[in-house]
Amino acid sequence: MIEQRAVMTKPATQQPLLCVRDLKVAFPSESGRVDAVRGVSFDLHRGKTLGIVGESGSGKSVTSMAVMGLLPDYAAVTGSVTLGGENLLDLDDRRMSKVRGRRIGMIFQDPLSSLTPIFSIGSQIVEALQIHQDISSAAAWKRAVELLDLVGIPNPDRRAKGFPHEFSGGMRQRAVIAMAIANDPDLIIADEPTTALDVTVQAQILDVLRTAQRETGAAVIMITHDLGVVAGSADDVMVMYAGRAVERAGVDELFSRPRMPYTIGLMGAIPRLDDRDREALTPVQGTPPLLVDLPDACPFAARCPAVQDACREAEPDLLAIAGGGDVGGSEHSAACRRAAEIDDAAIGGEPIYPVPAERENRAAAVPREDRPKVLELSDVTKTFPLTKGGLLKRQVGTVFAVNGIDLDIREGETLGLVGESGCGKTTTLLEIMGLTPPERGAISVCGKDTAGLKREQDISAVRRDIQMVFQDPMGSLDPRMTVFDILAEPLRAVGERDRKTLSDKIADLMELVGLDPEHRDRFPAAFSGGQRQRIGIARALATKPRLLVLDEPVSALDVSVQAGVINLLNDLKAELGLSYLFVAHDLSVVCHISDRVAVMYLGRIVEIGDTDSVFDNPRHPYTKALLSAIPLPDPVAERTRERVLLKGDLPSPTDDRPGCRFVSRCPLHLTLSEPQQQKCRGVTPQLTGREDQDHLDACHFADLTASADN
Amino acid sequence: MLRYIARKAVGWFLMIAVATNLTYFLANAFLKPASNYTALRPPRTPAQINHSLSLYNLNPNKPILDRWWHWISGIVTHFDWGRSPTGGSVNDQVAYRIFVSGQLVLGSTILAIVIGVGLGVYTASRQYKAADRVWQGLSVLSFNTPSAVASLAVVLAAIALNQALGNTLLPVAGAQSPDVSGFWPVFASRATHAILPTISLTFISYAGYHLLQRSLLLDNINSDYVRTARAKGLTRKQAIYRHGLRTSIIPVATQVAFAMPALFTGAVITETVFAWHGMGEYFTKTISTNDVHGVVAVAAFGALMTAIGAILADLVVVALDPRIRVS
Amino acid sequence: MAINMPGAGPDAAEAHPGKTGAPEPEKAGSGGKRLSPVKLYTRRFARNKAALGGLVLFALLVFFAVFGRFLTHWNYTEADFTALTVSPGVSGHLLGTNGAGNDVYAQLVHGLGRSMIIAVTVSLLTTAIAGLFGTTAAYFGGKVERAMLGFVHFLLILPSFLIIALVGTHYRGEWQVLVVVLTLFGWMLTARVIWSLATSLREREYVTAARFMGVSPMRTIVRHLLPNIGSLLIVTFTLGVASTVQAETALSFIGFGVKQPDVSLGSMLADGQSTLSTAPWLFYLPAALVVLLTVAMALIGDGLRDALDPTSQSGGRA
Repeated sequence: MIEQRAVMTKPATQQPLLCVRDLKVAFPSESGRVDAVRGVSFDLHRGKTLGIVGESGSGKSVTSMAVMGLLPDYAAVTGSVTLGGENLLDLDDRRMSKVRGRRIGMIFQDPLSSLTPIFSIGSQIVEALQIHQDISSAAAWKRAVELLDLVGIPNPDRRAKGFPHEFSGGMRQRAVIAMAIANDPDLIIADEPTTALDVTVQAQILDVLRTAQRETGAAVIMITHDLGVVAGSADDVMVMYAGRAVERAGVDELFSRPRMPYTIGLMGAIPRLDDRDREALTPVQGTPPLLVDLPDACPFAARCPAVQDACREAEPDLLAIAGGGDVGGSEHSAACRRAAEIDDAAIGGEPIYPVPAERENRAAAVPREDRPKVLELSDVTKTFPLTKGGLLKRQVGTVFAVNGIDLDIREGETLGLVGESGCGKTTTLLEIMGLTPPERGAISVCGKDTAGLKREQDISAVRRDIQMVFQDPMGSLDPRMTVFDILAEPLRAVGERDRKTLSDKIADLMELVGLDPEHRDRFPAAFSGGQRQRIGIARALATKPRLLVLDEPVSALDVSVQAGVINLLNDLKAELGLSYLFVAHDLSVVCHISDRVAVMYLGRIVEIGDTDSVFDNPRHPYTKALLSAIPLPDPVAERTRERVLLKGDLPSPTDDRPGCRFVSRCPLHLTLSEPQQQKCRGVTPQLTGREDQDHLDACHFADLTASADN
Repeated sequence: MLRYIARKAVGWFLMIAVATNLTYFLANAFLKPASNYTALRPPRTPAQINHSLSLYNLNPNKPILDRWWHWISGIVTHFDWGRSPTGGSVNDQVAYRIFVSGQLVLGSTILAIVIGVGLGVYTASRQYKAADRVWQGLSVLSFNTPSAVASLAVVLAAIALNQALGNTLLPVAGAQSPDVSGFWPVFASRATHAILPTISLTFISYAGYHLLQRSLLLDNINSDYVRTARAKGLTRKQAIYRHGLRTSIIPVATQVAFAMPALFTGAVITETVFAWHGMGEYFTKTISTNDVHGVVAVAAFGALMTAIGAILADLVVVALDPRIRVS
Repeated sequence: MAINMPGAGPDAAEAHPGKTGAPEPEKAGSGGKRLSPVKLYTRRFARNKAALGGLVLFALLVFFAVFGRFLTHWNYTEADFTALTVSPGVSGHLLGTNGAGNDVYAQLVHGLGRSMIIAVTVSLLTTAIAGLFGTTAAYFGGKVERAMLGFVHFLLILPSFLIIALVGTHYRGEWQVLVVVLTLFGWMLTARVIWSLATSLREREYVTAARFMGVSPMRTIVRHLLPNIGSLLIVTFTLGVASTVQAETALSFIGFGVKQPDVSLGSMLADGQSTLSTAPWLFYLPAALVVLLTVAMALIGDGLRDALDPTSQSGGRA
């Protein structure tokens, strides 16, 4: 047994900027007192970045709100938060307001709602300046424009006069950052600053944050659920679980040698772009505990594969691990009795999380060309009128949400459809699910053209074969229906009335997706997010479809439960010979689950092909940028790899002129000669195969760089 | 912008036209102008009655469509809304009564808005504290007091006060004393006559604004942008006033715009209780005296005011909310 | 909560620490922490003292309206010509008589019952019509929605109070007629409110899911939309009772509502008006009852709204 010593004993070489000690936050609730934060301590030095990682409900955001003094009055906060020798928890709202904005700047999760809709962006920054500085309005406005320029808003002069609703999400988040750094704060708290944004925009915002930190020399607390974001931006990482820190270390140390089984579980559960050979993810069983009346035991004990009886007797403290490297100036500490035994995610050579066996996919034995097509789209187009004006709406153009899409899915195959929000992937799904002929082109499901579906019975017959799983497991289940009624709904819709048959079928379905059939009379609210998504999948399977359309099925789930759902989908595909159309914005998930991938940009498919081929050898500049924007949960790789940062936001697909739609943001385009650039702007690139016919891309000059930067 | 208003106005105009004509036929079906003559002494023969009614385009023996044509052409050509069964001009009545009603209701509406919005802001920033609960309770009470009860209670209190003082300090009936002349005496008389009805109208109408403003502001107090404003360094109170209030005032302003024109349609109960001859009283009087044309004029006027209110509300939103702009 | 929006990633709930305390049981069957919805609503409602007071008050009023008549031998239509306008307690009249010699106590009992019956029936009918109309318009959207809303707007611009008065007078104050006209012209505003709420339900994924499963529109409305605005309908009904009492009172007060020999609280107020200084009890007795009734319903409605609101902050203590 290796010796453990308390974390507090380390001598401080330098006075920390922020010193949090034994912070506790509790909220009242119907079922009792919720202990959202249960004793968090940490130090943060100037110029350093602390990453706080955790799933929803782990208390990471509440911790930051407590530091800011923004918790509601009914929250009970104890402990101490010392910033420059002053305990912030002792300050009243008026004195705290002198600290907020001046010494601590904060960036929130949702840029869409965090700006006041009726004031211009510029005036909101001016306000931030004038609260703390005696500065004339003209000077403040000038400074606001400079700040907007600093955070990368083009035409800051003009844009400062704009209102929030005229800005995209990424631009609004830049404005919020400008506001946060307006008074040159000592500390910047970023609470999930990129969760609501697309990956390419996320990469930009993380870049802006780095600039902001460099400009102000501030310390940063980066709160996120995304291990990749932490790996790329933090110096130290604190992992939170059930309101406490369960592991803390320098970023390299934590990622290379995690000691707490929960951290190890998190890392095993995320699909990774840089490790595509893994067959199955290792899910963490169960769900986090309710933070009400917690017993004195390790809160992770119920989910921990390495649990011992002693774990259930007392809650372990966060203790330093001897020999846990002192790289980067911080010790490695973990709140686990067995931390010292754990090495390389294993205890005594046995992995803590055994990799589940993956089932053989029978369909894969037959060559792709010989399998029947379950879905075929050819030249599918969907447009919306573009209206302007709030009260008097008039059409000023046409949005080509989906613009001539061709794709097919064979039996037993998963096609991943990826792209940023607004690229038309959801519209494509709705077009397919509507089972009506598209504006242009044709859709055929299991060999039946939707144009030929006239009678109710025909449509109903096709509906049996194609079912959908939704993104939000809460929103897609009627909260006022029991699981039984939810699962019976599709069966009743196709004419099944017999109570006994229904009951048998529903019991089978629940078992199939790993739910206890005894729970059939419960309401969705009684289930956790992962279980609700399983109900959603069971409902989709009720009519024994051949094709499942999955719209971001795991993006609303926490990482630790996401893996279980992904594994379930893989098992179901192997067992039932299903085909999936899997729509997602998260390329790591897509690369893990798909056989083939299609990348969409502004209503068009820009690259399509075998998953390995596309991910190993991306040809279209957009695909390359997308892949490079995804943060990897590996600090070493994050620091060394080259990034392709895209400029600007996704433009609106409002015209149907010829030419490549990616021109405005394309990094390759800038390197081309003038006649080549003219070709990009004047000729719409078609999907073409190069050496192999199964990997197509829509770029005139993909060959120029295909080998250059790989 | 002008085009937008014009288009809206045309739509409303059509609806008003349909509603008014519908009311004309309904009123003719349900009201019997002849009954105004049956009680007269000496009794009139049916022929005499019909002759009198014919003068005013109310003869029930004439086909309804002919009467309608006569009535509508009068409006279109001379803007003449017809005559009462006893020969009075509807136009004169309405013109006079709009003025009386406006005078009565204007003060109380302004008071109600000021008090209501002020209380809404005051109580919202003290949610669940004693002051909030007390005002909330009072507003629930006043909001749910039928206007008849409120008006009569005010009268009762005024009578008690006058008796205690031994002279009529606060007149409880009429818009002015009949025996005063000269600008200032008339003004003073009107002002004192308006005190009681204003109090009772304010009492029943301020609570709506209070409860609305309070709940809107509370919705905004917990919004993300108020939190951002506090994160910038505003105190809670400043953030609520500068960011929450400015946003939440928009729906209240819309409500006010809606309510303003309704002023001139009068307050039926209050005018009845305090014997003010305004539009509200005209409404009851025209029905009980079988005044078909008067009833229709009241209906048309009410619909017009609703339309103006709706258009005003749109304009207010455009003026206050940068998210909504008509090009 | 609209999880489709970008703001609602896995951590959206954390952005509102006040709401994380909401009782959303996470684990199936682990321990007895899960509260059934009805129990939860009851508990929240009971904590609201004002609402509880309103409920007790309403129960007492119902009790009085139903059983009050056994306390007197006078019938509300009978006239005691030996005792005209006597004060409460005189000549065996518990609460005195009015100018025609009717026993005020008997009239109050009957008038309260009459006002209650009218208000409850009208509110029940308007809530039902408005609920169906609003959800149907919201579900179909597009042209159907526009046509249905246009109809509502047209009805709103009709001088409804005037038409009610016209029809009411014509039928000599039959209370059943009053119920019909008050219902016919009383549901539009509620329908609009329900419609605007139901349009957000229409975007819910479970409604989309039902459509993609081939569930018929009518079934979707009845099985998904209506139950999910159920709490709103209950609140609407309660507040509707309060507002109908006011409307009926106003109508009867200016003489277009309930008429002799039938009485309601409004018609009693109208009687009391003329004798305000000589026989004030003719005014303040019905006035007190009508205010108690409307305030009780308003308090119950507000309490229900708080109790049924998932984002309600009326939680316990930390």
